[in-house]
Amino acid sequence: MHPRSATLIAFCDAEAGAGRSRRIARHLSKCEQCRQQLLRIQSEKEELSARAAAPAIDSRPGLAAVRSAIAAWQSGRHGAAASELRARLRWQIETYFGSPAVSVVERPGIPAEEMLGRASEILEVFLGPGVAEAVKDDVFRGLDLAEPAGETCL
Amino acid sequence: MKRKTNNLEGLESAPQWILMFLGAYLVVHLIALYVWNTAGRAFSIQGSSDGTSALSVTAMAAVDLWLCLLVLRSFPAGAPLRRAWMLITFAAAARAASGVLAQLLGTNWLLNPLVWAGHVKPGLIDQIRRSALIADGPVRLALLAAALLVALRVLRKFGFWVRPSTADWAVSAIVYLFTLCRFAEAGAASLAGRPIGTEDWISLAGLPVLCVLFLEAMLLRRSVVRMGNGLISMCWAAFMCGIFLTGAGELAAWVIPHYSHAWPIEMIQSLARFPIAAVFALAPACQVAAQRRARNPPNDQPEDLATGVPALVP
Repeated sequence: MHPRSATLIAFCDAEAGAGRSRRIARHLSKCEQCRQQLLRIQSEKEELSARAAAPAIDSRPGLAAVRSAIAAWQSGRHGAAASELRARLRWQIETYFGSPAVSVVERPGIPAEEMLGRASEILEVFLGPGVAEAVKDDVFRGLDLAEPAGETCL
Repeated sequence: MKRKTNNLEGLESAPQWILMFLGAYLVVHLIALYVWNTAGRAFSIQGSSDGTSALSVTAMAAVDLWLCLLVLRSFPAGAPLRRAWMLITFAAAARAASGVLAQLLGTNWLLNPLVWAGHVKPGLIDQIRRSALIADGPVRLALLAAALLVALRVLRKFGFWVRPSTADWAVSAIVYLFTLCRFAEAGAASLAGRPIGTEDWISLAGLPVLCVLFLEAMLLRRSVVRMGNGLISMCWAAFMCGIFLTGAGELAAWVIPHYSHAWPIEMIQSLARFPIAAVFALAPACQVAAQRRARNPPNDQPEDLATGVPALVP
């Protein structure tokens, strides 16, 4: 009786156990068909091992592309969060003061950090510190401002 | 975007409530004036309107004081606008105290504790009335002028301050001219030997302060325009409107008797008094509404911006 493929794979991986391995070895010495199947299993296994060992992108430019994509995604996420912070601050100033007042806290090219400082100050003065804190909590609610490595914090 | 429905509940809707009361008051008084006019002015509407108006003004002043105290509580010691709100609260207290003095202690009605306790000395009621006029006139206006000066300094610090235009000076000039006319009239009466009443002296004492307030209101108007139409801007705009209405009321009360004695001047004055009180109460109401909104924000912020993930291309 020929051993099943799973048994041959286990034999090939030295996982069949001592007694069973002896029986399979005895059978293989007599059966050409099973020897051929074992050879096929071994070659497939080697091929799979070779593929697994090689990197997905095996060239230097490929690896650099992956790294830059990760960095771009991180900074994009950070940039989007800063942009969202700016939009929220703008909205709060418009709600409590009006659209023209936005120009007092936001100037072209102003970093989100500075805009936050200006908006906080104006809200503290006109609404009171406690209320301004509540506004800031509302601004930061659900906003992911985790800084990417090597960049300044907001 | 999702917007919370405004159901006129809570202090956040205080400005709407005040405007609703003001609208109802104006409608009732204008209907009364219309009926009086179409009925050929056959009956007197002075007495009936004066009492209700004075009580409404006192009630509104009490609301104003309460709202001011709520606002003041949110500004701790050392906050730049605390002094302004403290002075505004004192001004509101002066108006409320004046209402109580004039309507409760300054009358001969039965509910006056001085009357039923038998402590009324000759001239006491008149003294109380005079005190009420001083509190609601020069004292309140001076407190308000000092408060707006502090507020204007803060507005200037944040870049909201704008120089007054020619039109602003022209509007202010009307009040300065009116003040000059009032003083000239009083001087002429004094030279002619005609006595000037205490009420007139108190009114005259308030006019120079009103001139200062008008100039501040002009500066405030420019600052508010620079701010926009948010709740805080509306708060300061309400002060500005209150000052304009006060000036307009003083002007109307002086001009109308010069041209027509047929008009019920008391009715017109009472028609002006309540809107002024309501507009002044609107200012802390807007501030309270802004603070309540900040503490309980409605879910109407703009949607989150999508974070773009770049493609895996070199």
